Amino acid sequence: MKLTKKKIIHGLIYMILIAGMLIVVLPMIYMISTSLKPNGALYEYPPKFFPEWKEITLENYKYILEQSKFYRNFFNSIFVSVVTVVIAAFVSAALAFCIARFRFPGRNFLFTFIMLTMIIPGTTLIVPQYELAVKLGAINSLRGLIPFYVAWVIPYSTFMIKGFVENLPKELDEAIYIDGGSVFTVFFRIILPLTKPGIASISIFNFLTAWEEFPWANTVINDDLKRTLPIAISGFFGQHQFTQWGYVFALSVFSLIPILIVFISCQKFFVAGLTTGGVKG
Amino acid sequence: MMNRKISSKMQIGVLLVPGLLIFGIFTIYPIAKLFVMSFFKWDFGSIFEQPFIGLQNYKDVLTDKYFQTAFVNSIVYTLVTVPAQMILGLLIAMLVNSIHKMQIGFRVVYYLPVITSWVIASLVFKYTFNTEGLLNYFLTNVIRLTGENIRWLDTRWGGLSVAMLLGTWKGIGWNMVVFLAALQTCPQELYEVASIDGAGSIRKFFSVTLPCIRGTILFALVMLTIGGFNVFTSIKMITNGDPGHETDTVLTWMYYKAFSTGKFGYSAALSFIIAVVLAILAALQFRLMRNKDQN
Repeated sequence: MKLTKKKIIHGLIYMILIAGMLIVVLPMIYMISTSLKPNGALYEYPPKFFPEWKEITLENYKYILEQSKFYRNFFNSIFVSVVTVVIAAFVSAALAFCIARFRFPGRNFLFTFIMLTMIIPGTTLIVPQYELAVKLGAINSLRGLIPFYVAWVIPYSTFMIKGFVENLPKELDEAIYIDGGSVFTVFFRIILPLTKPGIASISIFNFLTAWEEFPWANTVINDDLKRTLPIAISGFFGQHQFTQWGYVFALSVFSLIPILIVFISCQKFFVAGLTTGGVKG
Repeated sequence: MMNRKISSKMQIGVLLVPGLLIFGIFTIYPIAKLFVMSFFKWDFGSIFEQPFIGLQNYKDVLTDKYFQTAFVNSIVYTLVTVPAQMILGLLIAMLVNSIHKMQIGFRVVYYLPVITSWVIASLVFKYTFNTEGLLNYFLTNVIRLTGENIRWLDTRWGGLSVAMLLGTWKGIGWNMVVFLAALQTCPQELYEVASIDGAGSIRKFFSVTLPCIRGTILFALVMLTIGGFNVFTSIKMITNGDPGHETDTVLTWMYYKAFSTGKFGYSAALSFIIAVVLAILAALQFRLMRNKDQN
């Protein structure tokens, strides 16, 4: 009797979770189904959730693939995101290592200060950052995006990686020093390899941040060919009196693919990162 | 030995410098500059010379009707989306935690909205909530809940509701993953002891689960409050502040003033006010949680 009651409860839990899951994915399915409709059907009334079977077409995808600037925009996004991730991983790991392992003057102040800047929402700094970008000649340049993104993700990355470094026994470092190794040896031979899961998990976040960043790129980049994907998508959207929703969503699907690949292939790291660093805070 | 000490110090310096340089130039300098700019007349009319005007920018911001509207909108957005995300995220986390099969599958799917970019998610919502869009068709013609199409995107609370729904939808997954991780650290023995003492599920939730994940709740609360005030892309894409700046939030209004009207000094003062408000809120949230700790 008790077993059946438990079974019913479990069945209910699964039903609720599956129902919630359907609601959660609904907007994404609608995006994909809209991208498969012929462009003429996008202003149809009554609107349909799914196109009819014989209506399904890849014309929106074909149109996007025929645009030469699509490849540039895609490459720009990859370039900016990958370079941001690599630099951020290296400098944050170095900061985290030094703060976790060495006592130097101003260490606590430095760490507290870096953490405090997390309270300030990124976009509030857009005006002085714009002024800085003008001074540095970084307006309308992809390279101009990267250092801003890196600076943006340093606090959270340092905080997370520091948690991972502190979990490593100090004896490992000491063994290297006794063998005559230097600070560099410890960093490159011990810290970097052993905190790899943490660095990987934070790098997924950083990749996502750079990949989808909109306000700053939209402010700084105005050349069509230098746009990253989010700006390209929003550009499609405002271009004509009537938005070509089919194109917008086909391009959106393309821009979601790399994120999905990164996310699904790094699933394991990702959860490890959240459990070790995030929860501690 | 002496030499080695010096070279260690140098190596530590070499490791610290790149991060500090990037952080210093691209975050610290802008923060300092923001503060300075907020006391100067800094707009299209004063490109070559920016006179010091004291607190005038702050006065302009605080007495600005549009800013007040945007501020109220941001508060409402935060007050609605933060608890909504946390409660739904925690609920789903607890449900997922209580089952054994498909945990990873649920976690992946519920997280999908988080990794969908703001631009894309905003456009999907805008398309769905169009006056002639799918949702209105469903409401009026399929389930006949409303007599005529609701003009979601053309009114203040309609537009904000769409943005709040989007914010909640997008945030549940993050909360779920963070809370799930926290729940899995709660010692199973505590639940067993509670069971022996005859505690029901609700009692267990309040006496075991909540105290166990309190640190995570605080972490989520602080992060989400900052996120709530940081809302920008969804408003910009969905309503662009229309009608007549009624749906602007603090940051879209700040952005409009800076980049459409050239009032950089005004925008700097506004940003600084928001940063201070958030610092106070974070401090209050920490205080509140700590006081609960003592009781």
